[in-house]
Amino acid sequence: MFIINCPYCGEREQSEFKAGGEAHIVRPKQPTELSDDEWAEYLFMRKNIKGIQLERWVHIHGCRKWFNMVRDTSNDQIHAVYKMGEKPPIK
Amino acid sequence: MLKYTTSINDTKIFDNLKIFETSPIMKLIVRGKSREFISSVGKSLNILLPNEPNTSSSGANVTALWLSPDEWIIYANEINSDDSNSYIIESELINKISNTGLGAITDVTDQFVMLNLTGEKIYDLFMKGSPFNFNEFKKKKGAVTQTIINKIDVIIHNKNDAEVNLFVRRSFSNHLWSWLNDSARFI
Ligand SMILES: [Zn+2]
Repeated sequence: MFIINCPYCGEREQSEFKAGGEAHIVRPKQPTELSDDEWAEYLFMRKNIKGIQLERWVHIHGCRKWFNMVRDTSNDQIHAVYKMGEKPPIK
Repeated sequence: MLKYTTSINDTKIFDNLKIFETSPIMKLIVRGKSREFISSVGKSLNILLPNEPNTSSSGANVTALWLSPDEWIIYANEINSDDSNSYIIESELINKISNTGLGAITDVTDQFVMLNLTGEKIYDLFMKGSPFNFNEFKKKKGAVTQTIINKIDVIIHNKNDAEVNLFVRRSFSNHLWSWLNDSARFI
């Protein structure tokens, strides 16, 4: 159990949230020009980092807004949360 | 006259705690972002939509609860007569907001069940099944939260000292009602 600071509602317990996978994956501009391999790369392949990862989360049982999170996957420590469309607050 | 079928239709009294369903109560979801939207809703309702998170504002006829940066639930302060299920406020808002494209108005009167809880033991009851920290919430009149109780989504409005209005989706209302009654035996 850990506490997540929703950028809209404030600190709430983890069970109110849902994780949405890796953040900042850009959809290719011209999907029709991609090979199947490149398309699969975009669609399915994720870094699955051990350590600090940028992720999408949604406050599903609260304001139902999506936001981004900087989380260490090895110890669940949350370093930052930031709204959709904002730049990650780390290097 | 309309034949209302309420979901709960019951009142329970425990030590320092009373729970019942308030019905029929008009409930509307309003969504929008622009400044014109906020001021237009404000004019129609005669209250300002709260823009501070987890708060509410109340006027003579209706109360508005903050749900998210672009979403509010508005509910009537008084029970509706059972002659009709169309509301003056709703048609006013549809004219001023929906029809002008400023935002969206949705009638959720029958989607949400409103439970009224009174007594000193309200938060002892909630604490048995909710991860939300009610310490600050219970001291702040008008506070609003969306959270889960026994894994059921709820909207809670701190109406007054020791008085709370709770909104739950109708299909979950009997399940929540059973849980509230069961848990109230142990507080
Ligand atoms: Zn939130």
